[in-house]
Amino acid sequence: MKQVLANTRRHFLQGGSLGLANLFLAEAQQKPARAGKAKSIIYLHMAGAPSQLELFDYKPELVKYNGKPCPDELLKGKRFAFIKGVPNMLGTPYKFARQGQSGAMMSELLPRFSKLADEVTIVRSMSTDQFNHAPAQLFMHTGNSRFGFASMGAWVTYGLGTENQDLPGFVVLTSGGNNPDGGKSLWGSAFLPSVYQGVHCRSHGEPVLFLSDPEGVTRSMRRKTLDAMKDLNAMERERSGDPETDARMSQYELAYKMQISVPKVMDISKESSETHTLYGTQPGKTSFANNCLLARRLVENGVRFVQLYDWGWDHHGTSKRDDIEFALKPHIAECDQAIAALLTDLKQRGLLDQTLVVWGGEFGRTPMRENRGGTEGAFRGRDHHPYAFTIWMAGAGVKKGLNYGETDDIGYYVVKDKMTPRDLQSTILHLAGADPYTLHYPYLGLNQRLIGPTDEGRIMKDLLI
Amino acid sequence: MRTFWLALAATAMAQPPDFQRDIRPLLAKRCLACHGPDEHSRQAGLRLDRFDGATKTGVIVPGQSAKSRLVARVTNEKLPMPPTGPRLTANEIAMLKNWIDAGAASANHWAYEKIKLPGVPEVKQAEWPRNPIDDFVLKTLEGQSLRPSKEAPRNTLARRVALDLTGLPPDAAAMAKIDNYEAYVDALLASPRFGERWAKVWLDLARYADTQGYEKDNKRTIWPYRDWVIRAYNDNLPFDKFTILQLAADLTEDPSVDDLIATGFHRNTMTNTEGGTDDEEFRDLAIRDRIATTGQVWMGQTWGCAQCHTHKYDPLTHKEFYQLYAYFNQTADDDHPSDRPVLKLSKDVSTLVLKELDAYKRRTTRIYERGNFLTPGEAVSAATPAAFPAMPANAQNNRLGFAQWLVSKDNPLTARVTVNRFWSRLMGRGIVESEEDFGTQGTAPTHPELLDWLAAGFQKDWDVKRLLKLIVMSAAYRQDSAVTPALLEKDPLNKLYARGARFRLDAEAVRDQALAAAGLLSGKMYGPPVMPWQPDGVWLVTYNSDRWVTSQGEDRYRRALYTFMRRSSAYPSMMNFDAPNGETCTIRRIRTNTPLQALTSMNDPAFMEAAQRLAERAAKDANPAVKLFESVLLRQPSKAELQRVQQLHAATVAELKASPWNAAKLVKYSEVLYAEDRESTLIPDVRTKPREWRFKISDPGAGWNTAEFNDSNWSAGPGYFGHFNKPNESTPIKSAWDTDQLWLRIAIDLEAPLPSKFKMPIRTNSQFDVWVNGVHALNNIFERGGHFDYLLNDDGQRAFKPGRNVVAIRVTRHGARGSGQVFDPGLVASLPVKLNKPSRDEFSRAAWVVVANTILNLDETLTRR
Repeated sequence: MKQVLANTRRHFLQGGSLGLANLFLAEAQQKPARAGKAKSIIYLHMAGAPSQLELFDYKPELVKYNGKPCPDELLKGKRFAFIKGVPNMLGTPYKFARQGQSGAMMSELLPRFSKLADEVTIVRSMSTDQFNHAPAQLFMHTGNSRFGFASMGAWVTYGLGTENQDLPGFVVLTSGGNNPDGGKSLWGSAFLPSVYQGVHCRSHGEPVLFLSDPEGVTRSMRRKTLDAMKDLNAMERERSGDPETDARMSQYELAYKMQISVPKVMDISKESSETHTLYGTQPGKTSFANNCLLARRLVENGVRFVQLYDWGWDHHGTSKRDDIEFALKPHIAECDQAIAALLTDLKQRGLLDQTLVVWGGEFGRTPMRENRGGTEGAFRGRDHHPYAFTIWMAGAGVKKGLNYGETDDIGYYVVKDKMTPRDLQSTILHLAGADPYTLHYPYLGLNQRLIGPTDEGRIMKDLLI
Repeated sequence: MRTFWLALAATAMAQPPDFQRDIRPLLAKRCLACHGPDEHSRQAGLRLDRFDGATKTGVIVPGQSAKSRLVARVTNEKLPMPPTGPRLTANEIAMLKNWIDAGAASANHWAYEKIKLPGVPEVKQAEWPRNPIDDFVLKTLEGQSLRPSKEAPRNTLARRVALDLTGLPPDAAAMAKIDNYEAYVDALLASPRFGERWAKVWLDLARYADTQGYEKDNKRTIWPYRDWVIRAYNDNLPFDKFTILQLAADLTEDPSVDDLIATGFHRNTMTNTEGGTDDEEFRDLAIRDRIATTGQVWMGQTWGCAQCHTHKYDPLTHKEFYQLYAYFNQTADDDHPSDRPVLKLSKDVSTLVLKELDAYKRRTTRIYERGNFLTPGEAVSAATPAAFPAMPANAQNNRLGFAQWLVSKDNPLTARVTVNRFWSRLMGRGIVESEEDFGTQGTAPTHPELLDWLAAGFQKDWDVKRLLKLIVMSAAYRQDSAVTPALLEKDPLNKLYARGARFRLDAEAVRDQALAAAGLLSGKMYGPPVMPWQPDGVWLVTYNSDRWVTSQGEDRYRRALYTFMRRSSAYPSMMNFDAPNGETCTIRRIRTNTPLQALTSMNDPAFMEAAQRLAERAAKDANPAVKLFESVLLRQPSKAELQRVQQLHAATVAELKASPWNAAKLVKYSEVLYAEDRESTLIPDVRTKPREWRFKISDPGAGWNTAEFNDSNWSAGPGYFGHFNKPNESTPIKSAWDTDQLWLRIAIDLEAPLPSKFKMPIRTNSQFDVWVNGVHALNNIFERGGHFDYLLNDDGQRAFKPGRNVVAIRVTRHGARGSGQVFDPGLVASLPVKLNKPSRDEFSRAAWVVVANTILNLDETLTRR
């Protein structure tokens, strides 16, 4: 039996192409631990694209130009999602101040996160080439703006496996009322075996679909059915000689374990009241804060890749519900508290050094005030802006208190130390312990990689310890 | 895989290495990226996809490997070739040397050579073959000193071929013929279930879905195309006609309505309605997808690679990609939210079709430099790639001609790719494993002569049913799938077909089989897609308030193929079993084993409903355990199996006796499940009956939303609440509200046991919040015209109590004063199920439900073997 399993595994490790149809995946997941600094990754994606000019990118020149028409050279030949004609510039109404020893400029909308300025690396020079939500999110998370490509979390678990065999290796948590615009493909496995897809865990109701036994079936009854299944399957194994039968049975046992381990890890009610106060969490609700606390619990329990999508950052300014004052303020308040809590909590528990935390959106927002349909509305907001946006990174292997990259006086273009989604993907894989240039899967005649077919993605050594 | 063949080659060094099997794949994998057809990435001006240059310059000296610079470079210690990645192995180097010494004979890539009908080989065990397939298979086995396996037992084979041909266990018509295998097979081929099963295979390729894709992923009516595919398979439409109609029916002479529906194949491309997207950008992406999909589906070519640069390994230049693009670039569809053009089929049904632009509106096709649609370059006209035979003589140079070219006698690929795909579905793997790639990077055929023999035959009549019958009638197909350790060691993936194939059922069959075994499966065919039960909260699509509304009656139990497919939120149990979501063409599904699958088939209600029905039937029988085996596995259990199952039953009965309400729930499983069937109106909205609320249109002060608040001085009136600048006859306002906000209160009495799943059907174009007994129960995100059902949040669900309950609502007018505002609420909930204390029979029956569910989860059940 072991002999047979060894053969199956050998075929897999020879890295041959697609003869993985009956791969014994439980084996495949137990890859040898690599020396990556990040044992786990928490990616906080703010879907809709948070406004860097209200939060991290301080542009006093832009404030001076507030209300003035946008110069022609910034409009000519450019494509915008919604801006038409000549918009006016929009300076931020919020005050910025230097924070911590690093002197990072952050706005008053980040009172708690500001205190952690010396813990994080802020990259103000992110730049992408996508300006629509779904393609931009796909590009950020799957390495391609079109559908059909595997997500970052799938690549990481494919390449490195996961520590806790009783939980999925790649968990996805959403908040904000909607899935992100790119849909479930953002955490899909595409051509990678589906075992690597993200498992969407819900923070209220059943954490994983079909996790709970049906009405009327108790845990003890479920155990008895599994015992019977095991015996009956063993008889089938005798008849068929096919190792697949054992592989399947082991997935049932894993499912049985997950029925306990998943609700346990997803239950925040037993956390201390200090923790709840720190995050602003409320058990039983769906919220970004709840998801941040869950993310800490998941990595604490050995989950390799946790991805959070918080929807509702698309502050165009078409109404009170999507502007940079009435809408942004409450949303960033909750976010500020939650991200500060997450970093503080990870640090206090000694987890921050082995956990990589990334925060950001899929592109930035324009220095111009959006004029939907050509007319400035009553509320202030910004359109989609691919050329410059801000993300931050913290934790495993990342420098503390670094301010990386600069944009021009008004925050339109990057002028120093540009970083792209490909660079970010390369760096994340590297920190996890994989080689972004060689981690691949042969499909359609190409060795597919997260970072795409060219080697333009760089491991950003300047950001790393 | 390749290493397997290299190992074989190493042990058979008496012959020079076979160029097709050994040398070409090696060069393709390790050399062609820099020394291939793409001149932009070509290094040192050297090509190794053809050898005229290499032989001229001494890189390859035929007959003299020692003098060949190729060998010197690959064995060079300091500067080896290739410069990145692992070195060539000693084996690989030896093969290259042997090949060169034997004269360095080369040939065109095997798949690009014309199909030639090979002779049927002679075999030693001449009594085994039933048809020529077996001669080819046996010849290879004998070459490996292997013997075929015995035939599978009758019932095993019967179940296998029924699942393979119809995706279901055999029905009564087929079972009547079970003693005559051929008659049985004919019955399966003639069954309408046949078309449904094979349509689904094709729909993976067609990237079929019922929505537009991308951010909003709105509904799309294209199910008439899915029905066309089912009929095409059932009517055994010849594959060439099947091809031409789908790609270009609109350009044929006098196409029928049915023919035009077929063009939906390429209208399955996605439409992007995200705000601020460029229609032309996404129209262009749809065209590129059409070419990439066409290349993969018919010719196993990865043409999509050439949209940015000349293909690195296979014969398609960058320019030729756009010449193919030109065939597809003249259709009227333009990424419009309406999905135009559509063909109206009846008052309520239209479907998406291809429609060629008028002559004066034709587009110019240009090469997009580096694939960037913002930098169009040289204009090109439509043409097929030079590496393949020319268009048929009398074909027009348009999309129709292109379709005819795909199925012409001279096309070396279409027939091979197609027979290979059918073979794979029945035999467990393709003769060419890389079904999606017959190019130089793909896997070599394990049985090249067999492939060509099948392909040559297929090209004569393009008869799909004949091909499938030939395969399932063969001895190779009928073999028992049991495997010995020795055979497993020698051929773990069954490439040589020394045994029958054994693999997990696909997602649709897993579900359909369970329902069919239980007698629950509806035989209803065709029509709009349906919504069987799905967990709450799966559809959370941005800017889209479409709801999953469980279908009624038999529409809950249709074949999986009819389930509504939404790209961004596909049906979970299908996804868990590796079904694709329709965003891209999926040539083959990679089968996996995951705990989510285990959870699905144990806990997804579809399997519990099937278990409940199976248990009801079995419990009536004298020997229920036997009956369960017969229903699900089509066989009698062994003594040991019977004992084990009865043991499980007894243990479960004991457990249930200790918790009788569980038994009560299990025997009424379906009733408990479908809360929507027990819906009752607690507060009617205007559509059922106008109901009076207490209301105020100015601030009522604090505490207004609590149960105790005194609202006796509020106004009273029924819906609609609101105000229109111009009177609206279809929305008669009964209670005037023309201020910024509206407050509503109503009291209802409830009795224990309380209903569940409280929802509010509400008509509004404003924002609102709902409180139940002072607890915040609902806040809407979307405001859209029309009635929608809003499920209260968890707090709201729990806030109801026996006795008096107060529902309070605050409505806020949205946006600037427009043409008016309107509000009308109702309240609906599901009544509880009446559970009775179980009788003794019911304890037993409930336990059989659990046992039936267990049997549905056995490896044997989930496998076609």
